[in-house]
Amino acid sequence: MAPSATQTLLSPAELSYIHHSLSLSPPIRPDGRSPTEFRPLFAETDILPNTNGSARVCFADGSEAIAGVKAEVERSIARPGLDISADDDGEEERHGENAWVEMSIEIPGHRDDDALPVFLAAMLTEALLADSELKDRLWINRRFHWKLYIDILLLSPPSSYPLPLLSLTTHLSLLSTHLPALISDPADDPLFNDDWHSATPLYPPSSSTPPVTLLVTTIGETILLDPTPEELAVADAVLALSVAAPLPSKAKKGKGNPQARLLAIRTLDPPSRLTPLGTTAGPTEGAPPRTGMAWAPPQGGLKRELLSRVIKAVVAPGGGAEEVLAGLAGVVA
Amino acid sequence: MMADRRRINGPAGTAPPSYAINTSDLEKLRPSRNRRPEELRKIFLKTGVTPPASGSAYLELQSPTYDLPVKSVLPPASALKISCAVHGPKPLPRSAPYNPQLVLSTHVKFAPFATRHRRGYIRDSTERDLGAHLENALRGIVIGKRWPKSGVDVIITILEGEEDRWWGDEVSGGTTGLGVVGGWGMMNVLAGCITVASAALVDAGIDCVDLVCGGVAAILPSPDSKDNQTQQSITVLDPSPPEHPEIQAACVVGYSASRDEITELWLKGDSGAATEQLIDSAVAAAVATRAVMVEAMSETALSKFPEADIKSAFPSADAVMSG
Repeated sequence: MAPSATQTLLSPAELSYIHHSLSLSPPIRPDGRSPTEFRPLFAETDILPNTNGSARVCFADGSEAIAGVKAEVERSIARPGLDISADDDGEEERHGENAWVEMSIEIPGHRDDDALPVFLAAMLTEALLADSELKDRLWINRRFHWKLYIDILLLSPPSSYPLPLLSLTTHLSLLSTHLPALISDPADDPLFNDDWHSATPLYPPSSSTPPVTLLVTTIGETILLDPTPEELAVADAVLALSVAAPLPSKAKKGKGNPQARLLAIRTLDPPSRLTPLGTTAGPTEGAPPRTGMAWAPPQGGLKRELLSRVIKAVVAPGGGAEEVLAGLAGVVA
Repeated sequence: MMADRRRINGPAGTAPPSYAINTSDLEKLRPSRNRRPEELRKIFLKTGVTPPASGSAYLELQSPTYDLPVKSVLPPASALKISCAVHGPKPLPRSAPYNPQLVLSTHVKFAPFATRHRRGYIRDSTERDLGAHLENALRGIVIGKRWPKSGVDVIITILEGEEDRWWGDEVSGGTTGLGVVGGWGMMNVLAGCITVASAALVDAGIDCVDLVCGGVAAILPSPDSKDNQTQQSITVLDPSPPEHPEIQAACVVGYSASRDEITELWLKGDSGAATEQLIDSAVAAAVATRAVMVEAMSETALSKFPEADIKSAFPSADAVMSG
């Protein structure tokens, strides 16, 4: 059931060594990055002609994903009797439904009803729907709406936790998504303009960006962004934070850089809980042994002070979210 | 999603019936919160309710009563009812690979009649997702190394679920829950699941470092201002989604009070600068739930071991009883 990442094969001595070097101040990461540095990636958009928007992202470790967004017109469910007839003043409320966005993730070696794809799809969809902006934009008229299908293919075997890769790919494909312009009367059955140049972007510049989901792990007092599988194997806690760029209206108003919008947080089950004990007898009670002692899987949860530091490290101006979103904006532009 | 091949299913694509209600009367049927913002619904919790299981617990939230001007056959809001059974620790099957720790598996299932829109028997994605959340919350507190090569199953049946929004706002008479990410109601369900599962683990005698209890808090946009001004928004504990036309953000925590640690955190929605305050409110709700848990457990313990000195084992139980 556990949607944990693939098990890394590290001995208790290795785990203890990595844990010790990561809990130093400043921490020493196995690949020499700074705590808030992201791994390099390659990305391109608009690669599939049959989609409304698409993207491909490759990480330096060889993992690669493709996402395609397709929008189709669907008839809205009408409730007999309870339906409030259209207002005559023309101002209808454009309220979208959560069911109008459907995401599916295909991971090689996993069935489509496995825990990992289900969990990842739920997490990514939840971030998309966290503000009602996206679903309200799918409203065409009272009887019809766009249904958005987001299909993600992970092309490489899932070597590390694939969440950030899938999330970045979704973000880029949604940024490049355009919906055809409506030419029929708003109340009629919808008919669309076949000129792709007049299509409207799903995320216009006046709105916020689609969210990206970032992984953050804590080890002792250290906060690490974009952890590798080895770092996850010794993590005390793993959090997935979904963030979007600040609203352009707020960005202009505020003096300095505003902070990114936090849309969702989830704790994940750290793979370190499944690692073997370093001793046969084991410590008798309570706190796991720390630096200088044998490895023991972490117990307990996350302190609240540490949690607020994690949120700050990602959301604050100049934090991790801003760096990633700025980098991704450069791909589409 | 997998099709259910083991049963003869009814016709697909059915919906609950719509009743003829005057559109002018419809808004009068909308329930509204009549508790204080920091007041939780009353909780009923009892452990040891399923004798064949090694541990079990049952949780129910008080059905709220509303003073509505119009009467309808439809209940205005649902109240959560969850039953949990723990089986184990038991040896893993021979075919399973060696595991030095206790293998915890959680199954969360809505009863088919738990929601307004009937659910199927096969677990759908929201139920699997809830199971993953619950497992995460419990893993942090179970001392797994004391049971190598064994497994424990935590099985939760939700007899009555929490709704995602008021039925009058639903397009098809109830969220189908199929292929859809759960709405706000799922957060209350998860908090209930965490509380009831932790109580059942204790009842089963599985060693834990602490109790973990679930708490929910939500930020509501202020009724006066239409734009999202976080300064004017209200934070409520234990929100019942049908009572609120709009919820800006909500947060569930699985909180272990004696360690002051959060083992599970699930936050949704644009909470803006109030994120930490929202988490703290959810923790406050969890702490309030803990008082009920401690009392329910000391009650069961007293009935099992009448001579035992429960008061000294649960020092906080005394404070709850007097306060």
